Amino acid sequence: MSISVNGQSCVPPGFRFHPTEEELLNYYLRKKVASQQIDLDVIRDVDLNKLEPWDIQEKCKIGSGPQNDWYFFSHKDKKYPTGTRTNRATAAGFWKATGRDKAIYNAVKRIGMRKTLVFYKGRAPHGQKSDWIMHEYRLEDASSAADPAAVTAAAAAAAAAASSDAAGQEDGWVVCRVFKKKHQHKESGGGGGGGGKHGGGGEHGHSGKAAAAAQQGLHYSSSDDALDQILQYMGRSCKQEHELLSPPQGAAGSGRAAASRYLRPIDTVLGGHGFMKLPPLESPSAAALTDTTPRSSAGGDAAHLRGGSGSGITDWAMMDRLVASHLNGQPDGGVAPADDHQLCFDDGAEDAADCGLAFYSAAASRLLGGGSGSGSDDDLWSFARSAAATSSSTERLSHVSL
Amino acid sequence: MGGASELPPGFHFFPSDEELVVHFLRRKASLLPCQPDIVPTLLLNRYDPWELNGKALQAGDQWYFFSHATQRRVTPNGYWSSICADETVRSGGCNVGLKKTLAFSIGEPSEAIETNWIMHEYHLLLDGRKESSSSTSTSSSRKSHKNKGHPNTESKDWVICRVFDSTRGSQVGFHEEGMELSCLDEVFLSLDDYDEVSLSNN
Repeated sequence: MSISVNGQSCVPPGFRFHPTEEELLNYYLRKKVASQQIDLDVIRDVDLNKLEPWDIQEKCKIGSGPQNDWYFFSHKDKKYPTGTRTNRATAAGFWKATGRDKAIYNAVKRIGMRKTLVFYKGRAPHGQKSDWIMHEYRLEDASSAADPAAVTAAAAAAAAAASSDAAGQEDGWVVCRVFKKKHQHKESGGGGGGGGKHGGGGEHGHSGKAAAAAQQGLHYSSSDDALDQILQYMGRSCKQEHELLSPPQGAAGSGRAAASRYLRPIDTVLGGHGFMKLPPLESPSAAALTDTTPRSSAGGDAAHLRGGSGSGITDWAMMDRLVASHLNGQPDGGVAPADDHQLCFDDGAEDAADCGLAFYSAAASRLLGGGSGSGSDDDLWSFARSAAATSSSTERLSHVSL
Repeated sequence: MGGASELPPGFHFFPSDEELVVHFLRRKASLLPCQPDIVPTLLLNRYDPWELNGKALQAGDQWYFFSHATQRRVTPNGYWSSICADETVRSGGCNVGLKKTLAFSIGEPSEAIETNWIMHEYHLLLDGRKESSSSTSTSSSRKSHKNKGHPNTESKDWVICRVFDSTRGSQVGFHEEGMELSCLDEVFLSLDDYDEVSLSNN
């Protein structure tokens, strides 16, 4: 069903339906939730459980031009009557969430959340991963503001502002964008000449953009929120590491050994920009601890956070934490238990944690950013400022600058 | 955006190479009205790329305009020079156009500074063949003669251009937004595999 009048597409040549995230949320999804009429029925309703990703292209065609992404509304179907988990299985496979939900902001406030899902053929847990990716957008929900992991230093202010007018769970309607993951092929820059060399049918529309992207390094084009996500993982992983590695002595070693098995795929993912070539990172001095009075467990862990730095494995420890946190990760945005081990957000350990997080944020941005995006720099600085406000170790954060 | 203003939010001018050549350049060259007629013609001297705002059609961070083909792509403050081999634009199995990629340099050629401004300049190819002039780097247009009402002989003199700042890609908003997985997403995706490995081992 394309938008058409008398069988003729009324999308003029050269125009594509490629809404911004703000348009998707604030125009289309809001109208849908409010049951308002939407001009030209561009985004249609779909029963996600009955539609395989490869059928979406035909079903959600807009106009006659080549299309790389497809849009539909879906009503979230609860997997279990009492639970909050969503059933996203189809006849041929299932959609599985990956990573963490990303908050979507307009110029003013948070307007919604984006979940990234991957389609697996077959049945869990033996599904076969495909290249089909779905971004599922939902309007802001109030409960997410109470999620402790969501309240990172960077997002805290904005989230607090947004939660005041959050409208609660919005009716279960989501708007989805489905696309096929492009395999990372580095296009040689050549100033933009590489743009038109995409193989494949649907892609020639992107030539201009692809050329630009090739010049600036496709890998990092969307790294602006990566730091934020890393920080969220840090918050979670501190706790989890505590559970995972109960004996403090030698724990780092065994954890490392365990994690190093998993390091290769990360290295592969990061391509030629692997962290192995990172310059040695400066470590925050342990003296930062002395002017705070952390609780014993927190202090022990905070020391452990930095324990590796003396032996030069700081970035390894950071990766351990990332990997460990993921391996132990709760599926699909689970709720972090509020136990005593949640040292990163303990009041008593706040200064130490800030310091540690700032340090790892520097590591993370080096890891992800390389010599790249200004976006992550901004994040880093805003974070550093907020950390400095609550911490007395301002001068210690100065080395965070890249 | 001219005649497309009745489109609902989410539609953006984002033409493919083929559309630029077939729907816009070919019609322009044939003196047919373009539908929608949104791409302006900038005939006289070429503008510096930062001067295009308000003169050319802006779509995201890109500017589109028609012009006459010329060998001297000189502006008040610099010049455009070709930076890579021409590409052909195909439609329906035929070569219909030629796409040149040029970069803008500020100053005189002897001491010019290359900028991040890029121009894609599309030429028509007649009868599906390459123009003889295109295989060499010599001129594809020799004279800026006026329209004589005979489309076939005129066509090769029109070009349609897309100008953009190659460093501003991430600010475009509607091109790549949400269409690429972030680096971190890729890490998670990769780790998902290992989740499954470890699950099946346990």
